[in-house]
Amino acid sequence: DNEAGRYKESYSKLRNWVHSSLDLYKTELLRILYPVFVHCYMELVAKGFAQEAREFFQSFRDDHQPQHIRDLQKLEGVITPQHLQENETACTLQENKVHVKMCQYSFELLLQYLQSTESMLMLGIVNSHINLKAVLPGQPAALLDDDESSSLPAKVQAVVEATNQKEIHWGILEGSLEDKFEKQIAAELEKADADKDAETDEAKKRAADGKVKKVKRDKAGKGLKAEPAARSVPRLKPELTMPLLTDDFERQALDDLRNRVKLGSTALPSVSCYTFVNTNNSLNCASISADGAYLAGGFSDSAIKLWDMVKMGEPSMYSDAGKQSLNKRPTPIRHYIRLVGHAGPVYGVDFSPEGDSLLSASGDCTIRLWSTRLNANLACYKGHNYPVWDVQYSPVGHYFASASYDRTARVWSMDRLQPLRIMAGHLSDVDCVQWHVNCNYIATGSSDKTVRLWDVQTGECVRIFTGHRSMIVSIAMSPDGLFMASGDEDGAIMMWDLASSRCVTPLLGHTGCVWSLAFSGEGSILASGSADNTVRLWDVNGSSKVTADKTRRLRLLKTLPTKSTPIYTLRFSRRNLLFVAGAFSPSKGH
Amino acid sequence: MSIVPKETIHVIAQSIGISNLHDDVAAALAPDVEYRMREIMQEAIKCMRHSKRSVLTTDDVNTALSLRNVEPLYGFASGDPLRFRRAVGHSDLFFIDDRELDCKEITEAPLTKAPLDTAVMAHWLAIEGIQPAIPENVPIDPLSAPPEVKKSDIPGLKPDQMTVDLKLPVKHVLSRELQLYFEKITELIVTGADDVLLKDVFASLATDSGLHPLVPYFTQFIADEVTRGLNDLPLLFSLMRVARSLLLNPHIHIEPYLHQLMPSVVTCLVAKRLGGKNFVNHWELRDFTATLIAFICKRFGHAYYNLQTRVTKTLLHAFLDPKRAMTQHYGAVKGIAALGSKLVRLLILPNLEVYINLLLPEMSSQDQANELKRYEAIRVYGALQAAAGNCIYEMLQSAPPSKKKPANNKSQSTTRKDVDGDASMHEEDGADDKDEGVKRRRRALSEAWKEDVEVGDLINSLVDLFGEGMLPFIPMREMSKCIL
Repeated sequence: DNEAGRYKESYSKLRNWVHSSLDLYKTELLRILYPVFVHCYMELVAKGFAQEAREFFQSFRDDHQPQHIRDLQKLEGVITPQHLQENETACTLQENKVHVKMCQYSFELLLQYLQSTESMLMLGIVNSHINLKAVLPGQPAALLDDDESSSLPAKVQAVVEATNQKEIHWGILEGSLEDKFEKQIAAELEKADADKDAETDEAKKRAADGKVKKVKRDKAGKGLKAEPAARSVPRLKPELTMPLLTDDFERQALDDLRNRVKLGSTALPSVSCYTFVNTNNSLNCASISADGAYLAGGFSDSAIKLWDMVKMGEPSMYSDAGKQSLNKRPTPIRHYIRLVGHAGPVYGVDFSPEGDSLLSASGDCTIRLWSTRLNANLACYKGHNYPVWDVQYSPVGHYFASASYDRTARVWSMDRLQPLRIMAGHLSDVDCVQWHVNCNYIATGSSDKTVRLWDVQTGECVRIFTGHRSMIVSIAMSPDGLFMASGDEDGAIMMWDLASSRCVTPLLGHTGCVWSLAFSGEGSILASGSADNTVRLWDVNGSSKVTADKTRRLRLLKTLPTKSTPIYTLRFSRRNLLFVAGAFSPSKGH
Repeated sequence: MSIVPKETIHVIAQSIGISNLHDDVAAALAPDVEYRMREIMQEAIKCMRHSKRSVLTTDDVNTALSLRNVEPLYGFASGDPLRFRRAVGHSDLFFIDDRELDCKEITEAPLTKAPLDTAVMAHWLAIEGIQPAIPENVPIDPLSAPPEVKKSDIPGLKPDQMTVDLKLPVKHVLSRELQLYFEKITELIVTGADDVLLKDVFASLATDSGLHPLVPYFTQFIADEVTRGLNDLPLLFSLMRVARSLLLNPHIHIEPYLHQLMPSVVTCLVAKRLGGKNFVNHWELRDFTATLIAFICKRFGHAYYNLQTRVTKTLLHAFLDPKRAMTQHYGAVKGIAALGSKLVRLLILPNLEVYINLLLPEMSSQDQANELKRYEAIRVYGALQAAAGNCIYEMLQSAPPSKKKPANNKSQSTTRKDVDGDASMHEEDGADDKDEGVKRRRRALSEAWKEDVEVGDLINSLVDLFGEGMLPFIPMREMSKCIL
């Protein structure tokens, strides 16, 4: 019985020693406490001291609660040696060494302590499970740097480092709308220049007073010309075959881009809020079409409801004539269309860029394609073996990606019932998926607290982003393809540089799950919608221009509270109007 | 050691037919049960997150169970929190209090109201980054308290109470022309210009299209001047005519200011004294104001359904209060009469007899020595007579009296009244006849407000009360039918 008691004794001794050490080195030494604690517990369990393990766990869990609550919750139930082999968290902890970086002096202090007290138990745990690295000879390292790596197993760390060396092309696509728009502008400028030249030729002939005018015009022309050149983003040839856009749509989209409101820290967007009422907690997800005309909601009763916001003002649009004649009573007028087909809760809906079709992901393991013109189901994509959590159209349409409980993300095209690619690699559920603007990559967020970037062509993982402390629930890509933002369950948002896979800056402020993120059309503002009933607007330009300067952080521009409406989704229209949607859920006093 | 006690394992074992489960087995199973339960809850929480909720429901648990290929738990689909009860005799055994329901009860129960259907509302959460102050948005923090000066203005008010009712000062720009116009008009009215000029003023007020910005100033002006100039009859008359002109102007949207205007108008109708000297002809002003009130009620009654009821309530109070002056009674009667014969039937006729009885002594030269008061009483009598007469006239126009009723004994009583002086001649048979006549009259009057009342009876009663003064109001045809 003494063996079990010794674990507790030596751990508490180590803990006391760390807490009474010099403040300068304390922060570093504290980092080994959590891995030692976890392994003590697991060894106790492995040796069959269930009762003692539980006691040990309860007496020290408060120390680690704030940082590792989710892991602790998962480990808490592990009592028998058999559980150790089953539990996902326990397995990864056992199989991998944990990296702990500390300065030379702290390292020596620790070793000295372990040897002098002859606590062989502790020394054994440190030896077998912790990879102590004495990195800096003199000064203690900066806290932030190590925070992320300390919680990450060593093997994964190595994989991360290897994958993040791979080259990626983050430019925007040749022939995309943005590209076409800029070309059009350039062409117009050239034309204007030509006109001007002709004019000035005439003017020259006329009189000297024309000179002044000419100079002015030239200046204006140059100013306009310089703008697109300054923020030029590399153009890429598409790796996938791109669907053709209809002329009508293209014209309209280009027109929208032309009329886009310029946003910035001084010019905030207008926000239109769509509030679902009387949902009785059954709304799972929502999506807004690019022009804000359609609104779709996925419900837990397997139905999808589709609202045409343009027709909302007009009464009796959808009174069902057939039914009316059958039972004489006037049927109550519904202002939405009910799309029925799924056999499980609908967890994700997304509109195509043109707004003519809708994809839905459901708990019945299928993805369905619906037409908003015909109000009918067009196709059912089967492939996932477990509930599909999220689905998203590619920026050009036709292709779409899905994320599932089965730990894979899949890429599909509308014309095939089988997936084109299966991205496997996440260690837990894939919870959300987001296309890169150039359609060559998809980003996935997972319950394993990482975000991964996958090459659509090869299906390989090209980037792993670590740093979140809980499940990732939303991702957004900046329009220039350089940055990515991801939001997690705890309300933290992280802004990543895709090229270097480093976190540019964490955005803290939300107190609930960040359900949705969106960049404005030209990428100057990031909007986030959260379960804490707020929409927040962040200034992106501040940091993205000076990435080298680490001190520059993203600034919170504005917090817009809603009336007890958690924001489920938000998106910028092509003209930079921000649409947000959420279900009104007044809190009931229990 | 496990949060699942051994006893629970025993109970579960018994429920599936294993009665002799060994203690060690139960102890070994308990931690595993706990672990599996935690696992299921983790999955359920995952489902809850993907349903974007913050409260775990039984559906989430069922989804989690089916993810693990376990049969879901049926019968827990209720949205209410489950009520557990302690089992008798067991300190740590709980069960759900699940009442047995009779199918008949359910089928025969009235249908409950269908829950409201899901709907979507749209509003502006922000316009260019600024949240508009609309009910759909979270209320904006109240403005900070204004400078100290204001607090000292209102003694006895706590500083925190001050902030409650603050409104932003509204900037309101009046053009120079409008200011001049307003000054000129008010000056003319206060100083009392000649009739021709005033006529032009009223015509201008009633037709000019650009006066809307001045409406609040005019209503304020009327209210101020009425309270100040109660002794100045020409001024009051002018003010009422201003009000009338403003009401007539089709370009003015006066509704928001009605509440300011009404008190002044009602004052001009039922005030105790209007005009300084006693013999000034304030009756004319009251008559004019009565028609003005009727006009207001007719025009805005549909928008403010309680406008007319409030006005009539005020008037009725004035009419039924014997302590009020005769002038006030006159105004009230005139006002009610102007509002229509229906109100006269409803409010005046049932009270008529009692009132006339009180009024008669005031009118006779023996009882009332004061010449002025007697004159006032006679005016009220006249007003009542006109009101009742017009009322009966309209009733006869719309619904002629039934022919069944013979008019024999009524003619008797009429003639008796007519030859008032000779009443003593019929002393003997007139006694009970008179008694009966009084009863009938009372009944007729008190039932006057009913739709189906006998018009004939009513006419006779009124003639009883007013004498031949009533006759001009009754068309010849009807008179021949029911009175003679």
